[in-house]
Amino acid sequence: MTAQELSERDYFTDPEILVDPYEYFNALRSQGPICRLEKYDCLLITGFEEALEVWKNPIDFSSVNSLASAAFPLPFEPKGSDISEQLDEARDKFVGHDMVVCYDGKHHTKVRSLISRVFTPTRLKANNVFMHDYAQELVQRVVARGSCELVSEVAAPYVTMIIASLLGVPPEDRVKFEEVIAAGQTVGSIEHADSPTDMTSMNFIAQFMAEYLQDRMKNPTGDMLTELTQSSYPDGTKPDLSELVGLSAFLFAAGQDTSAKLLGNAMRYIVDIPGLQQQLRDDRDLIPWMIEEVLRLEGSSKITARLAVRDTKIGDMDIPAGTRVGLAIAAINRDPVKWGEDANEFKLKRPRIREHLAFGRGVHTCAGAPLARAEVIEIINAFFDHTSEIGFNEAVHGKVGSRKYKFEPSFIIRGLDTLQVEFKA
Amino acid sequence: MSSVFVVDRSGQEEIITIEPGETLMQAISNSGMPDMLALCGGVCACATCHVYIDAAPESVMSGMDEDEDVLLGGVLSRQENSRLCCQIRLTEAYDGLRVTIAPEE
Ligand code: HEM
Ligand code: FES
Repeated sequence: MTAQELSERDYFTDPEILVDPYEYFNALRSQGPICRLEKYDCLLITGFEEALEVWKNPIDFSSVNSLASAAFPLPFEPKGSDISEQLDEARDKFVGHDMVVCYDGKHHTKVRSLISRVFTPTRLKANNVFMHDYAQELVQRVVARGSCELVSEVAAPYVTMIIASLLGVPPEDRVKFEEVIAAGQTVGSIEHADSPTDMTSMNFIAQFMAEYLQDRMKNPTGDMLTELTQSSYPDGTKPDLSELVGLSAFLFAAGQDTSAKLLGNAMRYIVDIPGLQQQLRDDRDLIPWMIEEVLRLEGSSKITARLAVRDTKIGDMDIPAGTRVGLAIAAINRDPVKWGEDANEFKLKRPRIREHLAFGRGVHTCAGAPLARAEVIEIINAFFDHTSEIGFNEAVHGKVGSRKYKFEPSFIIRGLDTLQVEFKA
Repeated sequence: MSSVFVVDRSGQEEIITIEPGETLMQAISNSGMPDMLALCGGVCACATCHVYIDAAPESVMSGMDEDEDVLLGGVLSRQENSRLCCQIRLTEAYDGLRVTIAPEE
């Protein structure tokens, strides 16, 4: 296929792009760092500097469509050089509009201040013992069997339990959430073009959060949910219950698929890059470096979106109010202008690696990044503790160099649906 | 409207308007100053929002909590007047605050 033909494919629905989105984005990149997707009448950014400019300009670029995606048509006809009033009236027509990641301006600043209050290093540290013990337990169980399906047997339950324990979700309810999430539609589904992101599991979780929060108001404990009920905004006012419910549900859900998929993505590099597994086993301090490079090359969020609320610019390019912009993280993190000609290659301790954009940047930067990193580092260490070698089932995935994988059918999430792993004790 | 003075790494000074309730990191970051990396987005995990407080109300220096102190503990360019500016929540009282963005580690 020529670059031209490839770039004309439909990113938001084409199952073939799932396998190698990077090739598709490279084809787009050859048209420049910002290109137009005619079919959706939106822009798509593949350039690092250009994307950074958008992320760091929350005044002109709204996050209202960050879950709905850049492909989602505006629910109104944009008029004039400033559409902020039109947007305010139509906000509730965007899927996920009541989630913090879609908030703008002062409302976002207020709710984000609650996140920084509760998601502190001290609190994460306090959960480390639980995380360590649970990682050891899960890993020992599957290693004893000699093989496992990594995504459903380890990654998903692991990240669910950890955020549940942090928030203070009672152990007996955790399995319920796991089941609902596993059964629900993936975020950014390529198979549901009309409603790629569905809020059913989020609403299910929210109902429970409402109960817990009301309970913690009467019976405070030391958990994060209690702390949320006791928190106030910077101006001294108290958040109402519905705000706390939405926030707790989002905190619970935001790191499920993303963190779980990061483990599978990291395993592919650990197992398939010649010599890497042994190098990491010999020097565990290299594991965080490996994670950062995997986040850059194969982070679990491929794309987010913004909407220009007033006439503005990206670089020299005029951007009229009403323009929808896709920020293609999977492409931005491989931009050769930023990373050099070896941008598509895995390189431990790459210069300026910490500047990758797997967690976004600016006011909406992923608040869960420290947690996601800690989780994955902990469980990889646990696997190294209890095995001498990790490999993949070649009957299912083929041999190195010609591996076959099934990917999550999502234009947002990058990660494996399943990964059959084998262990040597 | 309140404003703060921010000196970047080349010595260039910018005047930035602030909104009470936001953090100093958010104000500097939204103004587009490229030296404000703020990689962790304000969850006290990266120390790339390190600034020196040049002139400020007393409360700015006394407002440091343990998490910030620990993170700054690993920063070579730490001084007496160091703060991580994502941990500074702005009010009108910060009008006239003057800070310098610390060197990159
Ligand atoms: C590898 C795992 C993860 C990845 C790749 C990831 C990615 C992202 C990205 C790219 C954004 C910014 C979206 C935008 O700018 O439009 C974001 C926001 C966010 N993430 Fe994550 N995330 C991960 C894990 C987590 C975890 C574990 C949590 C929490 C438990 C979390 C909580 C959040 C929250 C609360 C926001 C919204 C912040 C805001 O709007 O102010 N994430 N994430
Ligand atoms: S922005 Fe990361 S510590 Fe302040």
